Amino acid sequence: MGETLGRPSHSPHEGRHSGACAPLAALSYQGVSKVYVRSHLGRTTRRIGLEDLTLELAPGETLGLLGLNGSGKTTTLKLALGLLAPSSGELRVFGHLPDSRESHRAVGYLPELPYFYPYLSPREALRFFGRLSGIPSAELGARCAAVLEQTGLRPHAERRMAEFSKGMLQRVGLAQAMLHEPRLLLLDEPASGLDPLAITEFRAVLSRLQKEGKSLVLCSHSISEVERLCHRVAILAQGRLVRTLEQRDWSAAPGRLEELFVETVRPSSEGAWR
Amino acid sequence: MRALWPIASNTLREQWRSRAYQVALLFAGVMLYLSLLLGMLAVDQELRALLDFGLGFIETLALAAAVFGAANQLLREMETKVVYLVLSRPLSRGSYLLGRVLGLALSIALAVLAMSALHLSILFFKGWAWHGDYALAVFGILLKLLIAVSLTTLLALSTTSPLSALTMTGILWTLGHFIQELNFLARRLGESTASWPLLALLRLLPNLELLNFRDRIALPEALGTSSPVLFGLIYSLAYSAACLLLAQALIRRKDL
Repeated sequence: MGETLGRPSHSPHEGRHSGACAPLAALSYQGVSKVYVRSHLGRTTRRIGLEDLTLELAPGETLGLLGLNGSGKTTTLKLALGLLAPSSGELRVFGHLPDSRESHRAVGYLPELPYFYPYLSPREALRFFGRLSGIPSAELGARCAAVLEQTGLRPHAERRMAEFSKGMLQRVGLAQAMLHEPRLLLLDEPASGLDPLAITEFRAVLSRLQKEGKSLVLCSHSISEVERLCHRVAILAQGRLVRTLEQRDWSAAPGRLEELFVETVRPSSEGAWR
Repeated sequence: MRALWPIASNTLREQWRSRAYQVALLFAGVMLYLSLLLGMLAVDQELRALLDFGLGFIETLALAAAVFGAANQLLREMETKVVYLVLSRPLSRGSYLLGRVLGLALSIALAVLAMSALHLSILFFKGWAWHGDYALAVFGILLKLLIAVSLTTLLALSTTSPLSALTMTGILWTLGHFIQELNFLARRLGESTASWPLLALLRLLPNLELLNFRDRIALPEALGTSSPVLFGLIYSLAYSAACLLLAQALIRRKDL
């Protein structure tokens, strides 16, 4: 658990256009837009959550989603989970519609500030989510024990979650996301609330998932985490994808990704995003 | 549908472990004890008073727990975002909704049965002889509560406000006990346009008078010789199914 993650030695994204038969994208957005429409007392307001997003994630790739608050990061993830319906465009998860069972079997999700039933213990919660995921009863106990161990929750497995700190809930969030061994993990601010030791452990878990060939989307304000873990970074601003960066763009100098990010999200003198 | 039981059993567990539910059960015990005191005041009608007050308390308390639970459970899960973790699993939104309603209905049914057992023990203590109509009365309460849970769930999803859902259910529940009077009023209005809203309302309201089987204990002749129980059962299931189908359509379209 104390292992620290080195930089990925390869970028799955680089190999995607090599001319060989491309594998089915783990996640594919084609011109996806999301407009939030709210009606109140006969007045309708519209707000653009995401605008014309075209982006693909290759199997085994780790993509970082960066952006300021309200830039559309969480909307991007919720669309992939089928929690939101796109207003236009097409979205596929391993070739399936995002609200299909096939897609949900393939995806694990850690929301920002996950909340759980406070009257349950982590083991009870994991058993519940495992049953919903269709994990056979014979395997469920072992799977729960494995993820409890991986996330450092084993000593707290029987405590009620009402007593848990934010960081502990984050661990349970990660455990439930990994429980059904998904091929794609969508992680929204996964390091939020974790102490330094837990962050090190979290990196080790992600490193193992990367080695197992899982696809990861890491949505974070922590640029240093994204810099360490991701093969590619997509920067969103005001609901639009404004820049994508490959690992080679920032790997030469520590802190380079932060510079590129700030340079990208700071509005130019004309008020337009670069 | 595979996910129905895990959701329902979790809801059941949630209810049993909730402080509000435990307090409601305790309160029910206190109220049933009070009915014993009220029965003493009724002198020669003591058993009758005990029966009526007891069944009335059971219905009212169970109704409060049912509508409060139904108005809050889905909206609270959406607000706290627990629903993200559930609906990002391979289950349909319809199964989630049905599982939640089933779990709540089961927990309320268990509470009604527990309160009835307590009530019966008081009645037996006072020398009441068992009559099968008591079971029918409790069955009628359970059917009414099924309608209440389904209707409140639909209203909660339509209004997205627990308070609005509670208020509207309260109004519809009350009006549902005055269907004969509302029909009489509609007939008095004749075919004028003034009767249209009332006629429309009558088609939407649950007819809860059909399920007042506890009247049978007081006035056995009131229900006649037909089979009101079977009709009441079919009516309750059909009304609840209609509410839940509409609720399913709403939750399927909902952005979470």
